[in-house]
Amino acid sequence: MPFVYNFPFFSIFICMISGIVTPLLKNGRWAYRLSLFASGAGVLLSGVLLGRIGPANESFSFMMGHFPAPWGNELSVGPLEAVLATAVCLVMMMALLGGSRDIFEDVLPEKQKLYFIMMDEILAALLALTYTNDIFTAYVFIEISTIAACAIVMAKDASATLVATMRYLIMSLLGSGLVLIGIVLLYCITGHLLFPSLQQWVLELVATGQYTIPLTVVVGLIVLGLGIKSAMFPFHLWLPPAHGSATTASSSVLSGLVVKGYIILMIRLFYKVFTIEVIRELRVTNMIFLFGLAGMIIGSIGAMKEGHIKRMLAYSSVAQLGYVFMGIGLGTDIGIMAACFQILVHACTKPMLFSCASALSAGRHHNKKLHALRGAAYENKLAGIGFTVGALSMIGIPLFAGFAAKVFFASATMAQPVKMWMTLLTLALSTVLNALYYIPAVTVLWSRPAEGETGEKQPVHPAFAVSTVVFIAAVFFLGICYEPVVTLIQNGLALL
Amino acid sequence: MPVWMLCLPVLFPILAGAVMLARPIEDRKKRQIYVAGAVIVNAVLALTVLIWTPDGVLTLLRFSDTMQIALQIDGAGRVFGILVSLLWPLTTFYSFEYMKHEGRENKFFGFFTMTFGVIEGVAFADNFLTLYLFYELLTLATLPLVMHSMDGRARYAGKKYLIYSLSGAAFAFIAMIFLLTYGSTLDFTFGGVLDPSRASGHETLLQTVFVLGFFGFGVKAAIFPFHGWLPDASVAPTPVSALLHAVAVVKAGVFAVIRLTYYGFGCDFLRGSWAQTVVMTAAVVTIVYGSAMALRTPHLKRRLAYSTVSNLSYILFSVTLMTPAGLVGGLSHMVFHAVIKITLFFCAGAIIYKTHREYVYQLDDFGRAMPVTMAAFTIASLGLMGIPPLAGFVSKWGIATAAVETGMPLAYAGVAALIVSALLTALYLMAVVLRAYFPAKGFDPASVKEVEDPNRLMTVPLLVLSAASVLLGLCASPLIAVFEQIAAGLL
Amino acid sequence: MFKSIVLLLPILLPLIGGLVVFRMRDAKARRIAVSACVLCTLVSAVGVSFLPDLSLRIWDLGGSIAIYLRLDAMGRFFLCLVSGIWTLVAFFAYEYMQHEGREERFFGFYTMTLGILMGLGLAGNLLTLYMFYEMMTLITVPLVIHNGSREAVAAGFKYLGYSTFGAGLALIGFFFLNRYCSTTEFSAGGTLDFSLAAGNENLLFAVWLLMMIGFGCKAGMMPLQSWLPTAHPVAPAPASAVLSGIITKAGVLAIIRVTFYLFGADFLRGSWAQTTLLCLALATVFAGSMLAYKEKVFKKRLAYSTVSQVSYVLFGLFLLNSVGFTGALLQVVFHALVKNLLFLAAGAVIYKTGKTDVRELVGIGKQMPIVIWCFAFGALSLIGIPPTAGFVSKWYLAQGGIADYGILGIVGAAILLVSALLTAGYLLPVVTRGFFPGRDFDYANLEKKEPSGYMTVPLVILAALAVLLGIFPGGLIEWISGISAVLF
Repeated sequence: MPFVYNFPFFSIFICMISGIVTPLLKNGRWAYRLSLFASGAGVLLSGVLLGRIGPANESFSFMMGHFPAPWGNELSVGPLEAVLATAVCLVMMMALLGGSRDIFEDVLPEKQKLYFIMMDEILAALLALTYTNDIFTAYVFIEISTIAACAIVMAKDASATLVATMRYLIMSLLGSGLVLIGIVLLYCITGHLLFPSLQQWVLELVATGQYTIPLTVVVGLIVLGLGIKSAMFPFHLWLPPAHGSATTASSSVLSGLVVKGYIILMIRLFYKVFTIEVIRELRVTNMIFLFGLAGMIIGSIGAMKEGHIKRMLAYSSVAQLGYVFMGIGLGTDIGIMAACFQILVHACTKPMLFSCASALSAGRHHNKKLHALRGAAYENKLAGIGFTVGALSMIGIPLFAGFAAKVFFASATMAQPVKMWMTLLTLALSTVLNALYYIPAVTVLWSRPAEGETGEKQPVHPAFAVSTVVFIAAVFFLGICYEPVVTLIQNGLALL
Repeated sequence: MPVWMLCLPVLFPILAGAVMLARPIEDRKKRQIYVAGAVIVNAVLALTVLIWTPDGVLTLLRFSDTMQIALQIDGAGRVFGILVSLLWPLTTFYSFEYMKHEGRENKFFGFFTMTFGVIEGVAFADNFLTLYLFYELLTLATLPLVMHSMDGRARYAGKKYLIYSLSGAAFAFIAMIFLLTYGSTLDFTFGGVLDPSRASGHETLLQTVFVLGFFGFGVKAAIFPFHGWLPDASVAPTPVSALLHAVAVVKAGVFAVIRLTYYGFGCDFLRGSWAQTVVMTAAVVTIVYGSAMALRTPHLKRRLAYSTVSNLSYILFSVTLMTPAGLVGGLSHMVFHAVIKITLFFCAGAIIYKTHREYVYQLDDFGRAMPVTMAAFTIASLGLMGIPPLAGFVSKWGIATAAVETGMPLAYAGVAALIVSALLTALYLMAVVLRAYFPAKGFDPASVKEVEDPNRLMTVPLLVLSAASVLLGLCASPLIAVFEQIAAGLL
Repeated sequence: MFKSIVLLLPILLPLIGGLVVFRMRDAKARRIAVSACVLCTLVSAVGVSFLPDLSLRIWDLGGSIAIYLRLDAMGRFFLCLVSGIWTLVAFFAYEYMQHEGREERFFGFYTMTLGILMGLGLAGNLLTLYMFYEMMTLITVPLVIHNGSREAVAAGFKYLGYSTFGAGLALIGFFFLNRYCSTTEFSAGGTLDFSLAAGNENLLFAVWLLMMIGFGCKAGMMPLQSWLPTAHPVAPAPASAVLSGIITKAGVLAIIRVTFYLFGADFLRGSWAQTTLLCLALATVFAGSMLAYKEKVFKKRLAYSTVSQVSYVLFGLFLLNSVGFTGALLQVVFHALVKNLLFLAAGAVIYKTGKTDVRELVGIGKQMPIVIWCFAFGALSLIGIPPTAGFVSKWYLAQGGIADYGILGIVGAAILLVSALLTAGYLLPVVTRGFFPGRDFDYANLEKKEPSGYMTVPLVILAALAVLLGIFPGGLIEWISGISAVLF
């Protein structure tokens, strides 16, 4: 077995160890550095792995502790997982860098170490959800990520935050509960926990026509549960408040990564457990499709009404996630490929938008209302440029990542006449709606402020600069050189 | 001439403008020299590339086999490119004088220069993706110009412009995706790119998509009912209205429609279909609607804006005839109208600049007070009305004879619409001219005592353009011959 | 080729001269300049008429259209008529315009209009005709607006609108003719390409109808005639005179060119379009006379009279036979002479007494005998009483109608008769009450208000011509038959 095959395990393990070691560290700063190290190591390990299995188009399963199923635990790794893992680690690292200043301002010193522990746990959970081949492990890490996510949302001491976190916690636990019931039912029907075995049994059940209703219920519960946790319409209402008051890194990680983890899991379950054909037969994809479309529109409409920049970005996330659900809802390989691509795109864009928004408001007494940010871009040009790049990508201007995603979504629906028109028209409408709140925001940022409204010029924070530059590069990379990435995703889906 | 030179006229002004925005030039004289230099250099570059065209395609970015950003010059692109490259320097000099009293010139000239590059990109685009990219960039680059004065009306106009343009582009995006799926390539090919094996059986679908694309790109070309942004955009400073909304932006819309029809879906595919009926009807309606609204508007710039709405649909009507003669008519009106309309807007701008008067009924006796300006206005008006031998007649002639040749009743209706519009044009332009030269009894001479022509920076472009509109009409033959070659697919 | 350049002379001379006149403030110098221009144009027009049929291609506009001049029989006829009358009216105008003001503007446009009309007569193809036609409209609008009052400006706009619309309708026809004719250069007998026209007759008839209505607007034919009665009262009398007398004939010329030199009479004869146009023309004749009879404002009454009388011409033309054609052209000459005469007389009355309503013109003959005598002769001619000119033309018209057209012809003749009666009804009272004001008239305070020689001499010349041509129409008829011979 090549040494590279150990890397997925190593990356998860490093994150968990970092979490364990952190309480022993001197202060928050060291915890921060350790977290950076963990995510950086993750990037490196996943990157090397990707470099190995991507071109070779391999996939393998890794037995943890050399114990075979059904006693041991398994990881399943292919090009898709490697790409996603690399991206997740990279985004986590950059999100931490970009929001680092705010963490140290917002979180109480005695709580800072805890904060970074939670971040490590989230990263571990995300990686695990990406790699796992076992449904119970998946559930365990779902729970871990839920609690850790709640913790990071709550980290900033404010009453509004507490209310929002409670809401998030309740919704999230509801989602987890539904998933758990689904998993239990599935275990009852099939008697297995590992994905390959589950798939075998599910196919047999479908072929013989037994337990059709329970199977449908299982799928429904899992989709519903994961959907609640990933802010699928109409269960998105917890997301905006959670973002509004959280610290920057938390918002970035929450909408850039955490919700994505559940979607990644859902996709992997669709392919590896139920097989995509069964899912299609059950018409689950149609429901997801409609919810996706609705999310795209409702999210943008909500964003238009917001004057608070972070809440606006939060609603924008709901809309962008709608794109992902729309792609999944198409039910074809191309559609899901487009959805995965959009996951990458949004993961690279939204954290940047959050950190830039925060940096822009830093000079204005942290007032995050748009009308207070007039001309803020002139005080922090990098943040202004970052925000503009992100906004243009969200709208879908060619050369930016968002446009490539739009093209893939549009091409993916070509083969399905009914869904095609709904998709195309909603895409068009969504583009316009996105423009309607992003362009005014960008305009306000770059308008010359009236006398007396200016803040002081902000010094360039190195961590923030690195983070923003990397994200901008990623946006353009995904916008221009997307071919290799897309090929990897397609191959990965085929191997799932 | 090496192929890489194709990117120079596109990228150089974008960079020059961006540099200006990043490091503002405070001194007016230095800024004017910088801008004039950049624009003239670029115009020379562009004309060189347009006349001694290098062979082949310059691929700037390659996304995949079917999607790339590439530049190439063909006949239609050459016409548009030369038109823009000749008119931009004139407008720049005019703007130097005009913007003196508008302020925030650095931002204005920065985006103004960038737009020049973007428009060249539209002209040089080799495929739909490139066209779409520069089309979207055009909206973004011109938005700050429209919103320049930043007061309530300007912001409203900018917002409206943005929404309309992006919505239009979103629908054009759909058309592009269909061409990607059902066409053999996204590159512009005269006669269309639809792959018969893939397209057969899907005709109605593709025709519907064409209509979507037509209206999508048609937003920038102010087709009814999506024309609403253009009259509101006349709150922008006059050079913006003149160049952008008489020449660059709206002609980019028309140009994109031409690309969509003749080089994308192909007129053989569309001729005789219900899709042609729909788009032709829209064009015919706009022709009359625009002229009628122009007559009702007493605000001079808004009147000219509605006139543009109407005249753009002359071009669109000709294009929707879907014959080579129709393309010839459309191209000729595209060129002639640009020259005439920019003259009219410059005159309006000169009046506003010198006297702050914006309404038609305030212009009594201006024929005596601002002789050069009103003379230019009169010549341009006669051209727009279509009095032979001026340019406007030649293009209208081309359009109408092409329409008659098709034998379609709807085309005949279009000819009738052209005539009704000509009548309305006569009325709404002559109203100004007659008032200027024959003030009514009871007119108070003291009200024009202070009025005089602007200085040379503004009057010279005016005179050059008036002369151009006369010469173009007289010397139309060689131009028409070139257009005919383009329409035959030879250039 | 070089000989053909001389065709430009009658056109450019007044155009350039007119431009110069704009600058001349001094009345005396201006009169000399204008007289010089006008007389030279007359001379050159007459001189050119003696030349053989020349043609000159001036400029090619691309596609199949070019600016092209050609001299032919019809052209000669028009050139001489127009330049002659223009000269007479110019002299009248010297005196008259003194009380209107801004003379340099008026005379500048007046002179330039002459050049344009010369161009119209010399036009060798439809494009050139259309070009000069549009220019004519534009250049005569200032004549209408001249006195700058609110009504004048409104009337000018109405004139512009109607004329442009009419020209536009004609332009539509032009687009179709471009396709269906082998060439749009005028050629006696028509240039329709019958291979293309076959099967599309109704379309072509509709096109012809449209063009006739369009050009007929200038000639005051219904349904586009209402600009005439609005424009005439507000324009200065010399302007009204030439508007009614000459400019309407420009519309007639255009109609002749299109009908006989492009479509060809043979193609059109017997069609539903012809019947429609005959009815329109007759309706205009009748309606015009009725409205003139009821109208009390003097110049407006004469305007309605023009509407009616010019449609006599159109009736004759639309008969599409050589007798009718001859009658039409005779009526052109006579009406031009007479209507100018009547308007100038009206102008003299207004100039000297300021009276514009016919009810005020009681006893005017006693005050201005020469003027009203000339008016009387003009009236008689217009009514068509032998031996004045009008009788000859109406005779031919009636004959042309009855000869070919059965019922329509007889109705036509009847309407001509009724119209003659009405004409008498609206013109003669002016004369009779002018000379015989009745017992209540204030003879004691009568003062002679005869205008100066500038005004009376042209009046007398016109009146004399009206009578003489009526008695000796032979030469004129022969000239006209030279034109009509090639057309039928």
